[in-house]
Amino acid sequence: MHPPKLPLHFFRWFCHPKLRDSIEGDLMELYNERINEMGKRKADLKFIGDVLLLFRPGIIKPTEGYKNLNDYGMFKSYFKIGWRNLIKNKGYAFINIGGLALGMMATMLILLYIQDERSYDSFHSNSPVIYRIVTDWVNPDGSVRQHDGTTGHFQGPKFMEKIPEIVRAVRLQENMMTFKINNEVSDLTVFKVDSDFFEMFSFPMLAGNPKTALKQPGSIVITEEKARLYFNTTEAIGKTLDIKVDSTFHPYQVTGVVRNIPSNSSIKFDFVVPNIVSKDEYASDENWFNFFQNTFIELHPSSDPRVVEEKMKKVYEADASVAIRMMKEKYNVTEKTNYLLQPISDLHLSKLYTASNGLKDASDPMYSYILSGIALFILLIACINFVNLSIANSLQRAKEIGVRKVVGGSKINLTIQFLSESFVICFLAFALAIIFLPICLPIFNSLAVKSLSFANLINAKLMLYYFILFAATGLLAGLYPAFILSGFNPVKTLYGRFRFSGKSFLQRSLVVVQFSLAAFLIMATITIYSQFDFLTTYDLGYDDKDLVMVSKYPITKNQLKVFKEALEANPNILGVAPVNGGEWRTVAKVNSEQEIKFQYNIVDHAYLPLVKIPVVVGRSFSPEFTGDDSNSVLVNEAFVKEAGWKDPIGQTVNFWYRNQKYNVVGVVKNHHFNSLSQGIAPQLFLQKPDQIFGKVFIKLSGKNNQETLTYIEKTFKAQFPDFTYSYKFKDDENKQQYQLEARWNKIVLVSSALTVLISCIGLLGLAALAGERRAKEIGIRKVLGASIINITKLLSINFLLMVFLSFAFAIPAAYFASDRWLSTYAYRVNFSYWTIALTLLITVGISLITVCSQAIRTALANPVKSLRTE
Amino acid sequence: MKKYQLGEFEEVVMLTVGVLYKDAYGVSIKKEIESRLKRNVSVGALQTALGRLENKGYLKSYEGEATEERAGRPKKYFQITAYGKKALEYTKETREELWNAIPKMALNVKVVASY
Repeated sequence: MHPPKLPLHFFRWFCHPKLRDSIEGDLMELYNERINEMGKRKADLKFIGDVLLLFRPGIIKPTEGYKNLNDYGMFKSYFKIGWRNLIKNKGYAFINIGGLALGMMATMLILLYIQDERSYDSFHSNSPVIYRIVTDWVNPDGSVRQHDGTTGHFQGPKFMEKIPEIVRAVRLQENMMTFKINNEVSDLTVFKVDSDFFEMFSFPMLAGNPKTALKQPGSIVITEEKARLYFNTTEAIGKTLDIKVDSTFHPYQVTGVVRNIPSNSSIKFDFVVPNIVSKDEYASDENWFNFFQNTFIELHPSSDPRVVEEKMKKVYEADASVAIRMMKEKYNVTEKTNYLLQPISDLHLSKLYTASNGLKDASDPMYSYILSGIALFILLIACINFVNLSIANSLQRAKEIGVRKVVGGSKINLTIQFLSESFVICFLAFALAIIFLPICLPIFNSLAVKSLSFANLINAKLMLYYFILFAATGLLAGLYPAFILSGFNPVKTLYGRFRFSGKSFLQRSLVVVQFSLAAFLIMATITIYSQFDFLTTYDLGYDDKDLVMVSKYPITKNQLKVFKEALEANPNILGVAPVNGGEWRTVAKVNSEQEIKFQYNIVDHAYLPLVKIPVVVGRSFSPEFTGDDSNSVLVNEAFVKEAGWKDPIGQTVNFWYRNQKYNVVGVVKNHHFNSLSQGIAPQLFLQKPDQIFGKVFIKLSGKNNQETLTYIEKTFKAQFPDFTYSYKFKDDENKQQYQLEARWNKIVLVSSALTVLISCIGLLGLAALAGERRAKEIGIRKVLGASIINITKLLSINFLLMVFLSFAFAIPAAYFASDRWLSTYAYRVNFSYWTIALTLLITVGISLITVCSQAIRTALANPVKSLRTE
Repeated sequence: MKKYQLGEFEEVVMLTVGVLYKDAYGVSIKKEIESRLKRNVSVGALQTALGRLENKGYLKSYEGEATEERAGRPKKYFQITAYGKKALEYTKETREELWNAIPKMALNVKVVASY
């Protein structure tokens, strides 16, 4: 009779070999007895029960077995010793873990940022085969004059017709349309697209059919958010929105509701309507030269984009030959147009073909580089703290190392031990960083203008990067100290005469590196701040204070007259002057054949006095001169210089392509109508008898501005009930041009504060250790009569020298970087001595306080205490 | 400080080993406890207790003969050591001291359990 085999084998497998035979004997004896008593089945069951009840700690063989097959026990000891060391030196542990956690968190945030930047537009399921048609304008000599991301009406449909690899083509045009919702008129951005839009791009629909939603004219697809706002539901199919077409409002029928657009999409819309191109437009060959929208195409998965580019070139040359010749004759266009394909995933970070004309969030990869650089700076500084403190603190460990070596620990064992300690610290820092990451995310979002959320963190790839970050930091911080500490000579350490000389060259150079980085960032902060300050307070040459801009297109001279009279009835409105909407640029001839490019504004006689642009030569426009509105112009000084006029009054500006000649009647002083990153370009002012304006400047007195603004709004709405009222202060608009500078100002400020903080806590630790190490020496010095000032000087001078030395590296680097950055501005501050002086003051000041606080503490200590114990 | 640590089951096992004297091995101890104390004892619980007592030095063991009903496996006989005897005596003494310390009244009073 045999008991069941499986439980028996199981028992033999888990049982401790020492007990196995005798217990098995007991089991068998019992089994045989039971068979006789109660039969095989019950005996089997009881046997199984017994075996299961034997599966308990006292009987299972220990995992180590008889010989240790792994070093589990040793690692356990390493971690235990590492942990005890942490607990023993709480201060250093705090510095190390805190610094590393800050560095790791900064790096994690930047990794998150880069991940988000690179994920743009990759959520479309077709994303690998979606391309944007872009153009290179090539000069006759083969150089590229301009890279352009825009296209016109033709490229999409014409290429698709002739090239079989193109599956779909979708044109995307951003437009302002006037909506009337609950009797409230407002201008909203609408995308006009081709009907395949929702098949090419993955914008999932909550309601409606993506295939047919854009087939009918007069249909509109809206986002979930807008559907809730206007209709209080996402089931909005069939409801209508009133949109102005020409001059009357037409109902557009909602045919689809799409889920809100992901934040990492270059295409961001609230409303989409079908794009209808008239037959006339499609017939005019000149439209090959009209670039204003974006065209995306979807290729067949197996096709090669290079081949398609070749085909596009051929199609273009064949179809547009007439237009090309005409452009050459009419406007002397000599550049060739080359059509290329840009993968949609490259769109967001492209510098040559930027995401513009309705595509949002165009970014420069430079930001990613700069941010990664800053994060690495912070991480590096934290690692340096770790290295320096471990080495400086090694005296405490010297005996332990000696004993370990004497009992047979090899250099490799000790290296592994110290590495595992650094991993313990890194792990704690890592955990801390992960905990604080979600808390710091909103701050980072506001700095980097992102809307990253916790959900972005849960991403396998990102987690892998974070793990690599953890491992790399552990190695970076731990490798060198592990190497040094494990190399100690056991005889020396145990003999008691061991002194790890604090004069390590490496330790000092690392401190210099830290402070060079910190000083560099401080100088960068000061430079960016002073440039920002310079830009926002610069005298622009005209008065933008209390100047309100109200946009309204079209506004005729008669409408303007009524509007102006109504406004000027208010004593707080000092003046009203119309201009054309937008920025107009053109080219005209002067000195009979010289072509000159300039920006021009159509104004009336009230404009120049209103914005206080002085006329330096000649006269301003005036209603007394009747011919002014058809043949007089004013130019700025830059224009005069470009034209090379000695006596500008009476010169002719020839708008040859529309056969109009103007006489210069006056020269205005140069003023900055563009951002200060550009110089002052030639500018011209003219009047037209029946001009339709697009914008009105209104000068306020500065008293009761809020009340006056309400008055303007009331006046506007009374006169133009079907138009959107919106206003903007000119000085606000001018400030907005420098948002980017303001942002970088903040980012660099925060990061330099962090680097200084981490560097200083490192310095604090080093100073404290130096004080400890030299406690006896200082005790003797004090006994022999050294003053506290003497000793403080003795302890701090070394560190201060290192800080000074770091400037030798930081100043040239900061000068070079600042100069590069500043040279992108036409108007800029210089990298000045006071930037260096201020940085010196900040850095030396902070490090002096740090070091001296420790030095004084050591110097004040009672010498009896340090000398008594031996 | 406890001088000798001996749990309730351990004490029972040790006493049984004493009762059986020369014949104390796994199955016999199990049967003896089951018949005297009317409680079920699993092989696992018994073997762990025996192992623990041996580790503490209260019991010693030697291998005996192999029989057919044991499929050729040897018996492992247990014996109480001198140290084990001290431990048993100590346990008994402490119990007795405690018994003696109880005032007579405490055991005579018939009270309904109150909690």
